[in-house]
Amino acid sequence: MSSQAHDHVHLPDASDALPGYYEIMETAIRELLVDKKVFDAGEIRQMLEVMDTRTPALGSRIVARAWVDPAFRARLLANGRAAVEELGIDFFENTQLIVLENTDKVHNVVVCTLCSCYPREILGLPPDWYKLKPYRARTVKEPRAVLAEFGTVIPDDVEIRVSDSTSMIRYLVLPQRPEGTQNFTEEQLAALVTRDAMIGVVRASAPAKEKSR
Amino acid sequence: MTPTASLVKRLPTEMGGLDAGPVQRAEHEYAPWEKRCHALANVLDIHKIVNTEEKRRGIAALGSEMVAQLSYYERWIVAFANILFQKEILTPEELAKKMNEVAARHGHGAAA
Repeated sequence: MSSQAHDHVHLPDASDALPGYYEIMETAIRELLVDKKVFDAGEIRQMLEVMDTRTPALGSRIVARAWVDPAFRARLLANGRAAVEELGIDFFENTQLIVLENTDKVHNVVVCTLCSCYPREILGLPPDWYKLKPYRARTVKEPRAVLAEFGTVIPDDVEIRVSDSTSMIRYLVLPQRPEGTQNFTEEQLAALVTRDAMIGVVRASAPAKEKSR
Repeated sequence: MTPTASLVKRLPTEMGGLDAGPVQRAEHEYAPWEKRCHALANVLDIHKIVNTEEKRRGIAALGSEMVAQLSYYERWIVAFANILFQKEILTPEELAKKMNEVAARHGHGAAA
């Protein structure tokens, strides 16, 4: 874990703390580009606001819609980005979205071995573990062992498919709808869909009553 | 195999298939400057100045030592600086001067 282990140890910015070298570099680059009219300062502020609206709740909404609306599900599987845009969720990166459907026979999991590509428009920023070496190194080699570390045991007769993201192609896992949710509303269904289920490292949560199994 | 061959065959950022320890479920709250760095990346992409693939290559081009020692957004901002120099949008001198100015504004002596 030597290489990038310190990604997660940054202290929160105390307002009275002096900015560090890299923060100064960020501020300097941004101000120079504004001075040169490459973009204006408002664009960065607007982008920060847009980024704040991008959370896994959007992904959960997409999955729940696919569970209740077979026609939407078909469109989502055929062209992920177009179906997501139908819901009024726009993409700010020039990427395609491929939606991977879990079934009784296939379990999908998403990784980025080369960097940290992730469907940020619909899941927000990725968790640190997604960007760190152990997950990126081992998921393509021993996915069953990695999933087991998340508490997800996949039976041997279920195929595991690992999809490696690129700068142009991002993936969203469509988890299986949990049993015992026939009468759930779309909103109740969305609450069962966690970020990690859409990366594919866990299943969608079972409804509360049945958690005892 | 020649011991250095792996350096030739594998980018410093390429992790797939390497041996590694267990996944630590690490997460952290992004610092404001990290979010700004990410917003900068998106805005540069929208203006077709630096796309995601150029950014990825820029990070790989930092070399294995910087990739190993800098944190995630530290790698990004240094890669952006290099790419903007290469595209002659910024010069190293301009950036050095501006960094001193920003540092002075915050009461630093000079950008260390």
